[in-house]
Parts: sequence; structure tokens; C-alpha cells
Amino acid sequence: MTREQIEDAGRPDQAAPVQLAGVSKRFGRGRGRVTALDGVTLSFPAGSFTAVLGASGSGKSTLLQCAAGLERPSSGTVRLCGADLARLSDRQQARLRRQRIGFVFQELNLVPELTVGENIALPLRLGHRRVDRSGIERAAARVGLTPGQMRRLPSELSGGQQQRTAIARALAVRPEVIFADEPTGSLDPHTAQGVLRLLRRTADGTTVVIVTHDPQVVRFCDRAVFLGAGRVDSIVDAPEPGQVAARLHALGERANGRDA
Amino acid sequence: MSGWVLAGMRRNPGPVIGTVVAAATAATLTVAAVSVGTSHSPAPLGRLTGADVVVAGDTLLHVTVGRGAGADPESAPLPAYRGVPAGLARELARVPGAAKTTRETGFPGGTARPGTVDLIAVTADPGVSPGTLAHRIRDALPGGAGYTIATGAARGGLADPNLAIERANGQALGGAVIPFLLMAALFALAATTALSVNLRQRRFALLRAMGATRGQVRRAVLAEQAMLAVAGGLAGYLPGAALGAAGVRALVAHGMLPPGSTASPSPWLALFACAINLPVCVLSGLVAARRAARTSPAQVVREVNYERRRAHPVRVLLGLVAVASVVALNVISLHQSGPGVQAALALPLLLAGMAACALLSPVLVRAVAAAARPLRAAGPTARLALAAIRALPRRTASAVVPVAMAVGMIGAVAFSNTSIAHAADTQSARAVTAGAVLTSSRPAGSGLEPALLARAGSLPGVRAVAGVSSLQIAVTDPDLEYLGGAAISGGPLDRALNLGVESGHLNELRNGQIAVSAIEASSGVLGVHLGSRVTVYLPDGTPYTATVSAIYARSLALGDVLIPASVAAGHTGTPPGYGQILVDGAHPAQLAAVASAYPGVHVAGRQVYSAQVRQNNAQNGFGDLLILGVIAALAAVTMANTLAVATFERRRHVRLLAQVGATRRQLAGMFGWQALFVTVVGIAAGVAVCAGALAAINRAVTGSPVPYVPAGPAALIVATVAALATGTIMASLRAMSRSRA
Repeated sequence: MTREQIEDAGRPDQAAPVQLAGVSKRFGRGRGRVTALDGVTLSFPAGSFTAVLGASGSGKSTLLQCAAGLERPSSGTVRLCGADLARLSDRQQARLRRQRIGFVFQELNLVPELTVGENIALPLRLGHRRVDRSGIERAAARVGLTPGQMRRLPSELSGGQQQRTAIARALAVRPEVIFADEPTGSLDPHTAQGVLRLLRRTADGTTVVIVTHDPQVVRFCDRAVFLGAGRVDSIVDAPEPGQVAARLHALGERANGRDA
Repeated sequence: MSGWVLAGMRRNPGPVIGTVVAAATAATLTVAAVSVGTSHSPAPLGRLTGADVVVAGDTLLHVTVGRGAGADPESAPLPAYRGVPAGLARELARVPGAAKTTRETGFPGGTARPGTVDLIAVTADPGVSPGTLAHRIRDALPGGAGYTIATGAARGGLADPNLAIERANGQALGGAVIPFLLMAALFALAATTALSVNLRQRRFALLRAMGATRGQVRRAVLAEQAMLAVAGGLAGYLPGAALGAAGVRALVAHGMLPPGSTASPSPWLALFACAINLPVCVLSGLVAARRAARTSPAQVVREVNYERRRAHPVRVLLGLVAVASVVALNVISLHQSGPGVQAALALPLLLAGMAACALLSPVLVRAVAAAARPLRAAGPTARLALAAIRALPRRTASAVVPVAMAVGMIGAVAFSNTSIAHAADTQSARAVTAGAVLTSSRPAGSGLEPALLARAGSLPGVRAVAGVSSLQIAVTDPDLEYLGGAAISGGPLDRALNLGVESGHLNELRNGQIAVSAIEASSGVLGVHLGSRVTVYLPDGTPYTATVSAIYARSLALGDVLIPASVAAGHTGTPPGYGQILVDGAHPAQLAAVASAYPGVHVAGRQVYSAQVRQNNAQNGFGDLLILGVIAALAAVTMANTLAVATFERRRHVRLLAQVGATRRQLAGMFGWQALFVTVVGIAAGVAVCAGALAAINRAVTGSPVPYVPAGPAALIVATVAALATGTIMASLRAMSRSRA
């Protein structure tokens, strides 16, 4: 069942680790100015597993970047793990990212010159934390990577294995929030299902935000947030792929109609 | 963090190879230049082998430069012996421990004055060491400071005073190259470093997203640059030592270093090269690292590695400042008439021009790409190439800069040489108006006896004779330095010579008079006017104070200072005589008859004079050629290096185009257009850079800002640079498509 509850979502949830209030993001200036996000107010409750869906150009990637502190919003406030990002220095933001946040991107997740093991340990090393080999191997084992694969370079792994490495790296710091931007975008459906199942299983208790355009992803999610033209269109609890596909189609039609 | 930096370099050396090559090239040239500069020249002892102690007049000229509080003692080796009184030998024989004294004369550069000898050789009694004897001699000599007393290997230095000067000149050549090298190295390293960091922007964005602070990214880049600088410095040592040895051999072969000179590059030079590389790498790395650290972490999820299209206002501002300083330096060189000042301006001018070119190159690339829009009609490959250039002006600019640098540096050195040689040619062709010239095939510069001048002058119909011998004259202008000049006798001089007298008269030059070139006379140099009193120093150190009786324009024919031959006689280190005798109005047959009485003397036309000037210049020219070769090599390596890296960087672009169906021929076509663009813009910018520097250099030497640019060498430089640039780009493309297959 679809339940329109935009007003409801806008209500501040003080416990939620990710909160956006009136966040807008504009790129460029003059005639080339593009509004990617237009006054988005959203919160992602602790331990929730949310998919952010929308057509290309709906602003879903920008939403993730602003929420994660990779991009500064043009207006509005973002609270991440209880801190107002605008009040944090660049250095404090970097520290926040490496200690409490995990990232999984579509591709180019891994530093190609570092081995799988070194990639997993990267955020720990950046934080000058002690890296014990068994901890890394445990993190790798949870995503199904063997100790023998620790010394391989990313280019020697399959696409699915690379994404598993990225998940292991995100988990290694025991983050409060994991942001994933099209984590299965370059994988075949079967491998994609495996990676998502893994993420769902291992991220138990962690808040996960996945940006995607793939309706199949929502099978693992508690909630789906639909974006259209930089605004929150609707929020659906316990979403199902068929219903989500129809919704995405409708959103796409609307966007095309506006373009024409 | 540095552990990963090393791991990264080991596993994927691609982006940093360019920096290592540039650093190693700079180190090679630095080591080579320093080992030429510090080359060791053994002085053969000759007939002084048997002497334990050698006593000569002080071999250095000591002069106090400046007045009052700014007074500064300076010294320079003398080209001729001062001579010691022959009677001194008897006094030395009375020194305890002296066994035998021998008066020695007839050395090259030896004195010819009666009552003096070149030096005195002393042998020690058995049991007396040469050092002890030398001490006793010093104590015994009246005013011991006025003598040079040598034992051991130092004796060789007294066997030929010219060797010391030759050595100093050859070594100075090494010194002259160093600023050029450092400048070129700075630009080359800065270019490759910036490129290698830009190549990895996405990597840095990923690190930033993972939580690396700006400081961590900056430190990683700096650590990497420092390691590359040291690696390049060490790698450059052996090739540099080999190049230095080759350079010394070449200088010896051209008589610019004494025979037997060897380069002895100390292993410490490797550290020295590292020490020079380090600040260059770290400084240019710092700029690139700042940019890398500012990389937005969001860039990791962006599809394209986009770059800011508009140049940063600070960059444009700095570029305009550099252009303004080129203009200002040229204006200064217009009003500061002094060759020293103007020549000193050449290097800053070249530097400012290069800086302007490097800073404004993205703007230039954008402007030219916009102007070249009609070329899109040439087809889809041209359209693609122009689009790529317009989208990534900074990448294109990083390929344009080394091409401009190569053209600018090679052009500046090559055409300042041709301009000077050409001016010397034309000046000396105009300077001699006498109908005939007597020359001697004997090697010494004074092969014509004075009696010949008198006999030629007394031939019927002769209107003028002039005996000319070139010599080194030391002046303080304001530093102590040697000038090429001439000793002249005969008359009326203005019938045999036309030196373009600007003030005064040059029909004769009497004892107590001196003629000075306009360039040398100008303020800031000697700073003298007609009637001024000036002191110059003859080759054996004797001061000559005289009144300026003429100031002339054509300094490249006979030199900057003319003195009467009677004054120079006995002080030049050569037997009395002339290098050339100019005769005007003589009957050729009668003149030939006179000449035939002297072995080795023959009669020639006035052209032979300019031929001899050219031959003298050829020796200086070789040194310049050597510098030119080194600079050209550096510029070529840098250019090929940067272009290869810049082309390889477009791998993804090429793969994408191939995927959407571009044929290999179309890809080659696109890169061909881009290579053409880079070459044309680079050469144009390089010509502009070197034109600014050449104007000042040329004005310093000839008084005119227009350089002499022979079409052949100019075309050769342009063609070589164009071929190398295009060849590198196309070869990199081929290598790239092959590695893909």
C-alpha cells in the first residue's frame, strides 16, 4: 500500500543519525544554473535500511552527497551522527567520515595500487588506528573473501568481489551509517542480489542509505524514498519491486513531459 | 601514509615516471655542468721538472674596485709574466740551502723586457726540503708579497700563465650553464609534477571520501615528490658524470680547457643534485598538492574528470604581471645602455617570458581554439579534436608549454649567437678600408715584425699603414674583467680603418691616449667621455693611465679598447710585432715583393680580416654551441616526456571513442589535429618568448633590437620541434592502441 506522508517525514526525529532540513543544492550560475535539490526535508531513522529512488537527474546522487558531507548544500542544514555538518571544519568532517561513516560506490571504489587487504584497512589507517590483520581478515570473511585474496590487487578480482571488498571496507570501521551510491549498478542481476543480501545481513543495526534506480533493490529495504525534480515525491514503507517499478515509471513519464 | 605512497609508485609507476625522468635529466645536467666547472687540469712542468722552488713575479693582478666604503679588492690571473729582475738570481743563490739558481726566459707569455727574466728556478741542497727552501726564500725576498713562489705541482701553474686563464674560462662555461639548467629544470619538473597529480584527481577524491584530511593528501603528495626528487637525483649521477667527462674532452679538443684536463665528479655531487631537485620538486609539488587536497570528495562519484574551464583569476593576474615585467624589462634595457646591464637582463627576460607563457597558456589555448572554429568544417576528426581542446584547455596547455619552452630557449641561445656572429662579420667587413692586409701563417698573434710595418709604409703610393695586434686588457667596468682589445701603430689610422668614430679622432693613437668603444664607454660600464682619464691594465699587470681620444661604434671588429703599440710593447708576453698589417694604396706587386722577404708572410685582400675575426668567434661559438646542445637536449626530453604523459592520460577518452565506433584512422586523425594545434600554438608562444629576450641581448651587443635570424637554422629548429612534438604524440597513441589490443 502506498501512503503519502511527506509531512510526516518532515517531522524532526531527534534520534535519527541522518537528518536533512530544507536542503537545496544548485550548480552553476546564470543561464546554466541547475537546481539538483529543492528544499528536501528527510530523516533516516537509526538502523533503517532505505532506498532512495528516482529517474536520472532527479537529484538522488546529490541527496546522498549532501547527506554524507561530500558536497556542501547551497541552503538548509544536514545533521549527521548528531553533528551539524555546516559547523564542522573540513578536518572534523574528514574525521567523521573515516570514523563513523562507510561508503560503497558504483565503481572505482578501490585504490587500484593497494591490495584488497590494504583497501579494507584504508579508513583505519587514515585515522591512525591500529590495524590488526586478523580483524581485517574477519571483516573480509564476513563478506566471503578468502585470506588468499587479501594480497590481490583490485584489478585481479571480479566486479562482485570488488563490491564485496568495498562493503568490507565500509564495515571495518563499524560505522553508524553506510551510504551506497548505485552499489550494484555495474553488476549482473544475480551477483547484485548476492551483494545486497550480504549488505543487509552484515549491516545489522547500521543505518543504510542506498541510492539506486533498480526496483529490485527495494526487496531488501524497509523503506523507499522517491525523488522527482529535486523534491521528495513520496515515501513507501515495506516497498515491493512491482509497485516501485510502476511508481518509477510514472515519475519518469512526468519528467519527460516536463522536458518536452 | 608514506608506505602506501611507495606501494602506489611500485605497483603503478605510470603517472610518476614523467617526474622521475624530468628529475633525472635535471640531475644529469647539473652533475655534468658542475664536473666541467670543477675539472682538474694538470699543468705540465716542462723544463721546470728539475727545479725544487720556482720564483716568479706575482701571477695575479690586484685591483681595488670602487671607492670609499664600497671599495673592494679584486684579483684576476695575468695572461703574461710580470718578469723578475735578472739580478734577483744572485740574491736567491745566497739563501741558505739553495744549491743552484737558473734564470728562465722564453716561456709562452714570457716577458721581453731587457734586464728581466720570466722566472728563476732554484734547486735545493741535499737534505733541504723544497718547502723549507721556499719559506727561506720568501723571508729573504724584499717585499715578498710581490712574488709567486711555487713548489711541487704548483710549479706547473707557472710554466704557462695562459693555462690558468684557459682553465678559468672553460670552468666558467660550466657555471654559465647552471642558471639555464635550473630554470629549465624548474619548468620541466613543475609541468610534469602538476600533470602527474592532476592525472590522479579521482584517486585523491576517493581518499578524501574515505576520510583523508586535506593535510594527509598534501603530505602524501609531498612525500612522493621528495622521494621522486631523490630517486631522480641519484639516477642522474652516472649519466651526468659521463656527460661531464665528454664535455671536458670536447672543450679540450677546442682549446677551451688545457690539454689533459679531466672531470673528477665527486660522489657528493649525487647529493648535490638531489639537493637541487628537492626544492624544485617539493615546491611544484606543493602547488599541485594544494590542488589535490582541495579535490572535492564528491568528484569520486562524478562520471567525468571535469576541469574548470575558466582560468583562475589569480593565475591570469600573475600571467599579466609576468607579461608586464617582460615589457618593463625591455623598456629598462632601452634606457640602460650598457652591455653588462642588458646581458644581465636576458635571463630574467627569458624567465619572465616563460612564466607568462606557462601561466597564460590555458587562456591562450582557449582563445586559439575559439579562433580556430572554422576548422571544424574540415571533418568530424577536426571537430572532435577542437571540442576536446576547448573542454580541457589546461591539459592542452600542459602540452603546449614544453613546446614553447623548447622553442624559446633554443631560439634565444641560437639566435643571440647568430646575431653576434653576424654583427661581428658586418662590422669587421666595414671596419677595414685598407686595400690589402699582410698576415702571417705563424700561429702566434704577433708574427709580423715591426720592421715590416716601416718597410710597407715607405712603399711608393702608400696612403696609410696600420699594425694591429690583439691583446687582453683588464679594466674595472666596474668589476675587474678582461676585454678583447688591440695595440695599434702606424697612421693615418682613419685611412686604413673605419671604426665608426662617434667622437674624437682616430687618425693616430699616441702614447697617453686610448680609444674606447661606445658600448664600453657608456655609463654603468666604464662610464667615460672624450677627454676622460682612465686606467687599464696590460697583460703583465702594468697599469696604463690615458686620456680617451676617441669613442667608436664598431666594437666587434678590433675589440673594445685600443692602445698604442708602443705602450703595449714588452708587456704582452709576446715578442714585439703585429698580427696584421693593413696597407692602403700600395702596388700589389711591390707589396708582395716586400712580404716575400719574410718567411710565412703573405698578402691578402681586406676580406681575410673578417675571416680571421670569424675564426676567433668560432672558438667562443663552440662554447655556446655546447650550451645550446645541452639546453636543446633538456628541452627535447622534457617536451617528449610531458607530451607522452599528456597523451597517455587520454586513454579512457580513446577507449570510449573506439567503443562508439571511431576507426583507428579517425583516432589518429583526431590526435593529428591536436598535435598540430599543440605544435603551432607552442611554437608561436615560444617565438614570442624568445623575441622578448633576443631584443635585449641583441641591443646589448650590437645596439639594434632586431636579431639576425638566418632562415636555415630557424626552419631547422621549428621543423625539429614540430617533428618531435607530433612524433611523440602519435607514438604514444600507437603504443596506447597496441596496449589496448
